[in-house]
Amino acid sequence: MKKLFLIMITAMIAFGFFMPGKVITVKGSDTMVILAQRWAEKYMAEHPGITVQVTGGGSGTGIAALINGTTDICNSSRPMKPSEREKLKIRYASLGVEIKSAKDGLSVYLNDANTIHELSIEQIKNIYTGKTTNWKDVGGKDSKIIVYGRENSSGTYVYFKDNVLGGEDYTSSMQSLPGTAAVVNAVAKDKNAIGFGGAAYAKGIKFAGVKKDANSKAYLPTAENVKSGDYPISRFLYMYTKSRPTGELKDYIDWILSAEGQAVVTQVGYFPVK
Amino acid sequence: MKKLFLFLLIFTLITLKTFAQQDTTVAKVAEKLEEVKDALEGLNESYLETKGIVDALKKIKISGYIQAQYQSADIDGAASFAGGNFSAGMHQRFGVRRGRVKFNYDNDLTQYVLQIDVTEKGFATKDAYVQFREPWMKTFDLWAGVFNRPFGFEIEYSSSSRESPERSRLFQSLFPGERDLGFKLEVRPQDGPLSLFNLKAGVFAGNGVNAETDNNKDFIGRLGFSFPFTEENLAIDGGISAYVGNVSVPAGKSLVTVNSPTLATSDLTVRDAERSYIGGDLQLYYDLPVLGGFSLRGEYISGKQPGTSSGNGSYTAAPAGDVYLRNFTGYYLMYVQNVGDFNQFLLKYDSYDPNTDVAGDQIGQVAAAKLGVGDIKYTTLGLGWIYHWDSNIKFVFYYDMVSNETSKNLAGFTENLKDNVFTFRIQYKF
Repeated sequence: MKKLFLIMITAMIAFGFFMPGKVITVKGSDTMVILAQRWAEKYMAEHPGITVQVTGGGSGTGIAALINGTTDICNSSRPMKPSEREKLKIRYASLGVEIKSAKDGLSVYLNDANTIHELSIEQIKNIYTGKTTNWKDVGGKDSKIIVYGRENSSGTYVYFKDNVLGGEDYTSSMQSLPGTAAVVNAVAKDKNAIGFGGAAYAKGIKFAGVKKDANSKAYLPTAENVKSGDYPISRFLYMYTKSRPTGELKDYIDWILSAEGQAVVTQVGYFPVK
Repeated sequence: MKKLFLFLLIFTLITLKTFAQQDTTVAKVAEKLEEVKDALEGLNESYLETKGIVDALKKIKISGYIQAQYQSADIDGAASFAGGNFSAGMHQRFGVRRGRVKFNYDNDLTQYVLQIDVTEKGFATKDAYVQFREPWMKTFDLWAGVFNRPFGFEIEYSSSSRESPERSRLFQSLFPGERDLGFKLEVRPQDGPLSLFNLKAGVFAGNGVNAETDNNKDFIGRLGFSFPFTEENLAIDGGISAYVGNVSVPAGKSLVTVNSPTLATSDLTVRDAERSYIGGDLQLYYDLPVLGGFSLRGEYISGKQPGTSSGNGSYTAAPAGDVYLRNFTGYYLMYVQNVGDFNQFLLKYDSYDPNTDVAGDQIGQVAAAKLGVGDIKYTTLGLGWIYHWDSNIKFVFYYDMVSNETSKNLAGFTENLKDNVFTFRIQYKF
């Protein structure tokens, strides 16, 4: 029986270790998907032997894929939760490796026709928790506020909830859309709409200046304001790997953090970390 | 002039008609727009209604796993803790070790959980509990029903995630079925330094998943910690646990204390046999560059265990005869090494000495000592390899090498038994 055990172990090890090689797969944050695609395109152009496959789906989906072993890199617009690290720990005996790859000013979108130009964090919170439902209550016209947001698999959803809503639940009237681009489109078409998302997607709408509180100065999510920390809703954009990256994976991540990779960050509309 | 007048009249009439037609067209367009608006509002209402239904359905979570396996033992009818004894005349068997389905209604702060186990042996309830979290600090959870006992690490570590096919002999003996019936309070601070610690404490029936048989209630608790060092990719977890309870001695029966190689003491007056354990557990996780993460886990328990004359396992029903009390100790150590994304190798060693007051040839030497099969110490060395085919399927190859204490004075245990077991298992988890 010991022989049988040894034979089966040897056969399966051989099978396990000689699986065909694979491309670098990247999955996760929709906020980061265009940035990740640009990185991949440029890297593949410079490294013809390497294939980088990028898909979105949301930060939560990406982290789940990392835990399930179906992606090499997970893009996330929020830090990994302790419960997610716990799952990685159980499966891979690793807490995961966090790489800060870019910085983003989380923008609040308004329709161009909206007379409002700035909002305080408190006002935004009240709108998104359903306490404020009419634009006149924040200095605008007498119109119902149409609230757009992201689905709960989105890191942007989680970040906004934790850092703007103070952990409170979103209003049940919020219309959840699959992707920041969809939020931008919806706000662009509805003069009473409000939405939130990454700066890189903001076309056809305007950004609300955001104030820390009612007495503070409002800041727009510009590069200077995000870098200086004056803009109150800024965040890092992360990449996660299961364990310490090696080989081609490490080369790719090193390139992203290089001056060349960080230049792509600026081109796409985010802010470099270096 | 008449012609001009006629022309102007006709022109005016045509113009008026055109305007009238335009008015009609505008009215029709406005009407259509209104219809579209109504339709959109209807769709929006329908969407919100559907969203409400979908949101409600998303609260229902179903998960489960099946473990189908082939096992081979050294001899026919081998006694085993690797999924139960082999039947007489058999040393090979196929079986479904676990066939679990878990239903969870997750209402954020409240949870309904029901888990069943369906195999060729039948149907069994595993979990049936409610969980309630206070809404203010979201730190205190109350559990009620049938669920895992909050003792140590291995009990609560899911069988679907555990690398070795079975729990250590120690845990299978002390906590058969892992679960018990009762109430539990969990304290998990959300923020600050206290979030590194957690406390679980509860009161239980003490009979596993079976119905209550007496008024005795057992306390079980664990104070745990979890220190993540994310920069180093290192985690150190652990805890200390305690079990304080009793087993009722039936009327007319004795409490027999078997703590001497020469003479057991019997007491007909004692009605409660002490069941008390204290334990400590430690887990270390570290990501080795290039190779992959490893975990090193260990657990140690000692205490007093009531049992029968021939068995040291915990009671799952009211005792019928004399209750034997033994001082025991046990531990296990397990090393799991990930190699790449798909392979895991493991080494596990466990030891369970059900009676620390006697050893070797003392067992069975003097009849008055009332020592026997229930006092034999066992150690098990397990070697295994796991291949993760994908996120759902894994293959497990595991070989248990079991050694028992020998006594020239105890029939059947004069030499090491042939009870090694090879297990090949396929698990599907969703």
